[in-house]
Amino acid sequence: MSASRLEFLTAIRAMTPAVPITADFLERLRRRDPDALGKAVRDHARPLMRAARGLGFVEQDAEDLVQDVFKTFLERLDSFEGRSQLRTWLFGILHRKALERRRASIVAERMDPIDDVFESRFDAKGNWTRPPADLERLMLSKEIGELIRGCMDGLPVNQREAFVLREVEDLDTAEICKILDVSVTNFGVLMHRGRARLRECLEAKGWSKPGWNRK
Amino acid sequence: MISCKNVAKLLMSDELPAQTWWKRAEVRLHLAMCKFCSRLARQIEYMRSAAWQMRDQEQGDGGLEDRLIRRLSGQ
Repeated sequence: MSASRLEFLTAIRAMTPAVPITADFLERLRRRDPDALGKAVRDHARPLMRAARGLGFVEQDAEDLVQDVFKTFLERLDSFEGRSQLRTWLFGILHRKALERRRASIVAERMDPIDDVFESRFDAKGNWTRPPADLERLMLSKEIGELIRGCMDGLPVNQREAFVLREVEDLDTAEICKILDVSVTNFGVLMHRGRARLRECLEAKGWSKPGWNRK
Repeated sequence: MISCKNVAKLLMSDELPAQTWWKRAEVRLHLAMCKFCSRLARQIEYMRSAAWQMRDQEQGDGGLEDRLIRRLSGQ
């Protein structure tokens, strides 16, 4: 894929708007209006399902999780004041439910072995000693989607969740921090470690070998 | 002059947009001159595109919304 095409795709993603929830829509949801419920589900079920799958839940478990998210949302609707977007609220519920099921913590660990791997790539002056591989003539293919999915399985839940919300769902830092209930600094640490792990994994699987650099 | 390690940290942590104008300019200048750091930037962009490719593959079946609406309406 050419650099200009990558930029174009990135720009299109950035243009996808987050729709704010109106007081009228919220009131209709509180009355369990079928049309409002249908719209909430149709607008958000698929991104939630993608995120659940991205977090490593198999198809049926992911669907159960998403159903649980909507069920909890409807049960707690009275406490939703409409100050945040509906999407942020739903992803926040998904995040807490996923952590409950995985019995994991979102807070970045103080020590992570991947930090040493990252450090080992530089000398004392901060210059590369093991520079990144050169990737030429990249093409997005079914294989690269599967390759990155395989590598994401090796990420701790918190790093994986940060990566999915940023790179798969394309949410901005402020919204992700709200969903995950972490500071901007903590989110930066999660992204740094997640990407470092993915790079090491993709490199080990040969993403720079000719087989992955197809015309 | 900013080091490769600091550039790599800023790129990988997504913290570059929050930096000062001067720091961002410094990183851009560094990327223009350093082929290794520009490779890293390209790798990060590639991972982003691969994640999006994964997103496109993860469309699921067409009946998801109907099943959910049916179950949620029945509660």
